[in-house]
Amino acid sequence: MNPILIPVILPLASALLLLLVSERIKHLRELLTIAVTGACFVSAVSILNQALFGTGMEFTADWAGYGLSFTLKADRLSSFLLLAVSLFSFVISVYSFSFGRKGRARWFYFNLLLTAAFSAGAALADNLAAMLFFWEGLLIFLYTFIALSQNGQPARKTAMKAFLINGVTDLCLLIGICITGYIAGTMSMTGIAANKLTLDGWAALGYALMAIGAVSKAGALPFHTWIPDAALDSSAPFMAYVPAAIDKLLGIYLLTRISVYLFALNGFAQLALMTLGALTILVAVMMAFVQNDYKRLLSYHAVSQTGYMILGIGTLNPIGIAGGLFHMINHATYKSCLFMTAGAVERQTGSNDLSKLGGLFRAMPVTAVCFIIAAAAISGIAPLNGFFSKELVYAGTLNTGYTWFFLAAELGSVLTLASFLKLGHSVFFGRRPEALAGTREAPFSMLLPMIILAGICVAFGFGARLPVTFLIEPSLQNLGLRHEEALAGFHFNKLFWVSIAVILTAVVNHLFGLAAAKGRPDKSSDHIHYAPGLKEIYAMAEKGAFDPYEQLRKFVPFAAGLLYKADRFFDYLTDTLPSSAAGVFSKASQRFHTGSYPLYMALTIAGFVFYILFTATYGGIK
Amino acid sequence: MTTGLLAYLLIPLFTAVLIPFAARTRHRLAGVLANVTLLAGLINVSLTLFNPANLASAFSGLAENGFALLMIFVIYLVALCVTFFSSYFIGNDSTVNRVPYYSLILTSVSAMCGIVTTGDFFTLYIFVEVLAVTSFALITSDDGAKGLEGAIKYFLLTFPASLFIIFGIAFLMLTAGTFSFESLKVIIASGLPVGGVVFAVSLILLGFLIKSGVVPFHTWTPDAYEGAYAPVSAYLAGIVTKVSGVYAVIRISMILRLFEIKAYHTAEVLMFLGMLSIVVGALAALRQNEFKRMLAFSSISQVGYIILAAGMGTPLALLGAVFHLVNHATFKTVLFLNSASLEKSAGTSDMNKLGGMEHSMPWTSWTSIVALLSTAGVPPLSGFWSKLIIIIALWDGGAKIYAVTALLFSVVTLAYFMVMQRKVFFGKPTEASRNAREVRPAMLVPVVGMCLLIAALGAFFPYIYAYLVEAIAARTIL
Repeated sequence: MNPILIPVILPLASALLLLLVSERIKHLRELLTIAVTGACFVSAVSILNQALFGTGMEFTADWAGYGLSFTLKADRLSSFLLLAVSLFSFVISVYSFSFGRKGRARWFYFNLLLTAAFSAGAALADNLAAMLFFWEGLLIFLYTFIALSQNGQPARKTAMKAFLINGVTDLCLLIGICITGYIAGTMSMTGIAANKLTLDGWAALGYALMAIGAVSKAGALPFHTWIPDAALDSSAPFMAYVPAAIDKLLGIYLLTRISVYLFALNGFAQLALMTLGALTILVAVMMAFVQNDYKRLLSYHAVSQTGYMILGIGTLNPIGIAGGLFHMINHATYKSCLFMTAGAVERQTGSNDLSKLGGLFRAMPVTAVCFIIAAAAISGIAPLNGFFSKELVYAGTLNTGYTWFFLAAELGSVLTLASFLKLGHSVFFGRRPEALAGTREAPFSMLLPMIILAGICVAFGFGARLPVTFLIEPSLQNLGLRHEEALAGFHFNKLFWVSIAVILTAVVNHLFGLAAAKGRPDKSSDHIHYAPGLKEIYAMAEKGAFDPYEQLRKFVPFAAGLLYKADRFFDYLTDTLPSSAAGVFSKASQRFHTGSYPLYMALTIAGFVFYILFTATYGGIK
Repeated sequence: MTTGLLAYLLIPLFTAVLIPFAARTRHRLAGVLANVTLLAGLINVSLTLFNPANLASAFSGLAENGFALLMIFVIYLVALCVTFFSSYFIGNDSTVNRVPYYSLILTSVSAMCGIVTTGDFFTLYIFVEVLAVTSFALITSDDGAKGLEGAIKYFLLTFPASLFIIFGIAFLMLTAGTFSFESLKVIIASGLPVGGVVFAVSLILLGFLIKSGVVPFHTWTPDAYEGAYAPVSAYLAGIVTKVSGVYAVIRISMILRLFEIKAYHTAEVLMFLGMLSIVVGALAALRQNEFKRMLAFSSISQVGYIILAAGMGTPLALLGAVFHLVNHATFKTVLFLNSASLEKSAGTSDMNKLGGMEHSMPWTSWTSIVALLSTAGVPPLSGFWSKLIIIIALWDGGAKIYAVTALLFSVVTLAYFMVMQRKVFFGKPTEASRNAREVRPAMLVPVVGMCLLIAALGAFFPYIYAYLVEAIAARTIL
């Protein structure tokens, strides 16, 4: 078998095998999943190795004809993505080993393995149709993942919300792929890249629809609204796996592919993408700042950080794109780590509510250290990995000349750091509540993945050269981008000083907030939350006034009523009307067939008189 | 007349004459003789038709007229089903006298074979009259009042038909000087003015339209079918009226198409009457309460399809008409025989008094379903293919409105049969149906055999189509 198939077929087969394992056998499912995802990770490393230092692997099978072939191709960008996806599948399956509240274990691991298989397929697919196949498969397991992660109605409601939002945007993606494939005359991404499409006419629509599919997967505005809900209604491992890692990776990957690889974009598209990125950063971070739930706060950050990536890709210059891709892998690392700490705290204390937590540093030192590293990374504090990728995004943004976007991104950074100061202070420092006196450190199987991810944060920071050389640079080459500037390396340039200023502003803000809230860290955002003007907007946002999904849902009963009426009308046209007409005619004919000879005879005679006259007139004897 | 097929005509006639002598004291022998004669004929004609070597040689081995051969097969098949069914249907306490009954059936088989093998109008007329006389007598087999009324109506309302046919033949003699189909073809080909010939043929056609029960000449059919002795209705509806009327209409329309534009208006009238029959028959069938009466209206509607296709006159349409004629004989025989079974078991065929019969009579219920699905044109049964051919031929020939209407009315066909099936076989058992029992297995043999044939004709449609194209279209239709 072609080794490129291993990351797709192996989890798929073992997911089905998993269903056969009896509920009574303990740990077999967990160990099987860890082994399978570990094997996939190893094969991903070898695939990447092959792509970097040899010729990339490829697998083609004829599928439906008409150019729809099942083609997997491990070029450098795809192998990089495959490596990232497999890494997270592996660490999450280790992490879930002793995490209790994740729903029925059988279904959790079933969903996890299938998500791993389908995301690997989506990353590797070269044919757009094959990619769509895997992409839509992920949609199914997104639904089941959320719906089966908790018992009860909220999980199903949120699952439906996630399913509908992503279902609609996946439909956009499907139409976009059809248009693009039709215009390009091929469904192969390599084939389209050979003659890049320009944005005019139908191609522009195709690009826009595909971009909607991509950014919605990544969780950008306004398609993000299911993520904060899922933070409350699903499990921490799911949050750490899908919205924090897999979705971002695949969404940004596709956005990069279409924006750089398949299409040659123009200034308008650039401006649109950057605006979307900046808006996502600001709006989501404003929401994140005022949250009082550990995971919900993190989930808004997961949205906000997407903005940096979209902003980076939207700059369309190599530095910005490198920043976007680098930020993509960095974000997945630290955000996954942060969700894991949230899960650990939830498991040990039973709560994720900031007002009920505090002073856990002594009780859970390893978790706390991992949290601090990841939080520093997300806030862009030098020299962790988030700092370098954000620097690249900033530099790329400045290169385009749109200073406003740079300022918005920096403002986003201030609020990010401020909210993590609030979060860290509320959870790990300050006074520990009485109820948490006996709290202990999380088990080793949960600490290990956190340590791995925090270690990557540090390693990719201090040794930023490593990922840049082996992952980012080859991807840029793969995309056909050339650049002069060095991507890695630490400089005391003005961007560094700006970042120092950002840190200082955030710290001052936090101290001011603490003072205003009389020393209660979980209330330290109240001076902004309840500021005049903002207070009303926040209240409306909490009620879902800006959530397109909720707004559309309010419209549903009316639309359904209207459609029902229309349906009744068509029903009447196709059902009642013909049958009542037939009824009238058949009643008339029933009344006519009385059995009377004279009547029947008269009819017969009338018939043949008409017939003879007609045929005699037109038949020839005139 | 095709002399090679003469035996199919003479042997039943011989048995018909033999029966009164042989079965004078033992009446049951009449049925045996009739069955044996018909079975022998059916086996004989089947061996010629279904010989696999025929398909391989593109039917070149069939020296005789393929159309006639197919019709003979159907005639023998339906007649055998009816006689076999009758030999168990006629009870010991029945008023039916077996000797004239079987003798008449065999005579009519012989007359029908004459009709389908003849090559000129005058012989055709003679055999049609023989057939009509035997039919009058058969309708009144059980001496019931309704049967008498049906027979009289049949006689009175179809006698103008004989009038027109004989007038037409006389007119044909005056204008063309010949009765024979072949010499008619020669005259048409010679390019002489043919206005009078067209009119003569149109007159003959009118006679046969009346005999086939096309609207507005349909009024005798419901009363005759409803009033006739139960197995006789199956015989009449399944084959007798089809051969005496519809077969001749198809045959004449094969000649009509040779006139090309000159007979255009006659063909037009034919199509219009066909469509009218489909519509009126189907709509009237929707509201009937009597099972056999509903089947009679359904028969009018199905004949409409055949006439419509015959009026279209393209080779494909004529093939569709021939195939639908064959299919109609199969499914309508099943339905009428089932109505006879119902009448025997439950004592009535009034649909309002029946209900839930599927529990007591499952075989009858299932065979009805197969037959009605085939009538409505549900794939893969045989009725689907013939309707499909007809509708495609209409569409190709430019009669798009007719094609669409024909398609729509096959839905109405399904509707009235579903109403029937629900009223009679599904639902809760009623007073009359609670005491009913399934008829004896021997009486189920004809209907089950016919259902198998319906399925087989659908399943082996490629073979049938090859037969229609190679043996009929290539030789009979010019």
